[in-house]
Amino acid sequence: MDLVGHRGLLQATAAPSFGARGRAPTRAERKDGFAVPAAPTRSGTVDLEAVFRENYPLVVGVAARVLGSRDQAEDVAQDVFLSFWRSPVPAGEARGWLSVAAAHTALNLIRSGKRRALREQAVAGDTVVPDVADAVVTDEERGVVRAALARLPHKQAVALVLRHSGLSYADVAAALDISPGSVGTTVRRAESALRKELIRHASSD
Amino acid sequence: MRHPTDGVLRRLLDEPAGVADADREHVRDCPVCLVGLAAAREDAATVATALRADRAGAPDVDTAWARLSTGLAAERPPVVAAPRSRRGAALLRRPAAAALAVGLVLAGAGVAAANDWLPIFHTEKVAAVSIQTDDLVALPDLSAYGEVEVTGEGNPQQVADAQAAHGFTGLDVPEVVQLPPGVTGDPTYQVVGELSGVFTFSAAKAAAAAAATGQPLPPVPAGLDGSSVRLVAGPGVAEVWSQSSSGIPTLVVGRAVAPTAFSSGVPFTTLRDYLLSLPGMSPQLAEQLRSFTGDGTTLPLPVPADQVTSSTADVHGHEATVLVTRDQAMAAVVWVDHGVLTAVAGALGDDEVLAIARELR
Repeated sequence: MDLVGHRGLLQATAAPSFGARGRAPTRAERKDGFAVPAAPTRSGTVDLEAVFRENYPLVVGVAARVLGSRDQAEDVAQDVFLSFWRSPVPAGEARGWLSVAAAHTALNLIRSGKRRALREQAVAGDTVVPDVADAVVTDEERGVVRAALARLPHKQAVALVLRHSGLSYADVAAALDISPGSVGTTVRRAESALRKELIRHASSD
Repeated sequence: MRHPTDGVLRRLLDEPAGVADADREHVRDCPVCLVGLAAAREDAATVATALRADRAGAPDVDTAWARLSTGLAAERPPVVAAPRSRRGAALLRRPAAAALAVGLVLAGAGVAAANDWLPIFHTEKVAAVSIQTDDLVALPDLSAYGEVEVTGEGNPQQVADAQAAHGFTGLDVPEVVQLPPGVTGDPTYQVVGELSGVFTFSAAKAAAAAAATGQPLPPVPAGLDGSSVRLVAGPGVAEVWSQSSSGIPTLVVGRAVAPTAFSSGVPFTTLRDYLLSLPGMSPQLAEQLRSFTGDGTTLPLPVPADQVTSSTADVHGHEATVLVTRDQAMAAVVWVDHGVLTAVAGALGDDEVLAIARELR
């Protein structure tokens, strides 16, 4: 899977280092933290419904890991599929493209600061059941996790989320245009950094 | 030999088949790397939990599609949509997903073979039974704490038909009443004989290994030194339906004699619980192994929570475990009836594998 030629959206969203070997990005403009290509470019030859049905749970899963909120992840997924529809990405490359786009868009969202208000609102309405606390991450903890994710180097964060969303090392490597051998290193660094952040937060309580 | 990098250790957890043999062998015998592997496993498990969303379960794709369609209506080119591809066929373009089906079914009987095919479940799944394979990276602690010997024929072989499979294994070969959409043709039949492996605990090796990790060895229960546990699994049979074009499996229905543990000297549970208390064992893996009673009534089938969700359902009056990959690409249902494990797995929905399971003859 080679996404090099179709990273217009991704370059514009958050990671200028990505797609360095690719062609010039499609024209895009930033709007509310993530990119919206200026004009539809889809020729109509892709069965969008088939792509949607096959990839929607994955896209929601990726965004949910970043945001911690399924509802907001579904909102992100809508934006991502709209962007896909407007892009020239072939259906055969949709899975990797959509995964990375979901991670980028969600990371942009938590970095934009908009999440803060939502998070505080969520904490105020905390409904976590105490006796399943070991299995359920509380809203406050989700806020900590998201803040820590936002501080990770962008590529580390994306690789981490994609790997934990079930993408293979080969798929993560192709999606991020890195070598398969470096995926493990990238993910490991991200996990180590994230865990340290979580421990630091826990010990400061 | 230099130590493999942290990245290699991390990949060993997820995709051991993607790691060079030399690195795998080094890690297996290297106390330093085993500590690194345990740390990587712990970090991965912590992060997997931390990245959970506020609620699980499959999203409502129909509702979401309706929402997107509304948004597209104003800008979508007036084209006639191509016919929706059949779901199973589309999903099975993913070799990893298809491999899950094959590996899962054979896990009860042909672990050595399954290890080659099954990256998703590999790391944790065969924890209890990997003692009988030569691939001990999933349980590095054990290779450091005793001797391992594998016996039995672990390579699956293809036979002509169900009758031949029955003759080889002695098992009643399940018959699928109705194939789901996207699955066509006749299955191939693979069989595997009985596998067994013996792990013999060594207090001296355990003490040395514990010292290498910098942690004290828990007190060794009386009579444990030199005692063995033998795990036996199989024989088994798998019916495999594959795509005619690619050969990738679309549906696998399998049956095997469930793993059973025998011990000498001390009760199996005593040895198992002591092994689980040794340094380096992740709490998650320990929890999963504790559920294995070793009497043929439970499945040593731990589920990596970051990749697979599990639930239970009733199949023929038995409690079955339903597994669904988080990307919804695969589903499987597994249950044990009087020491015989049966599994249905494929690039299908959980409702589809359950329907097949409940109709098996």
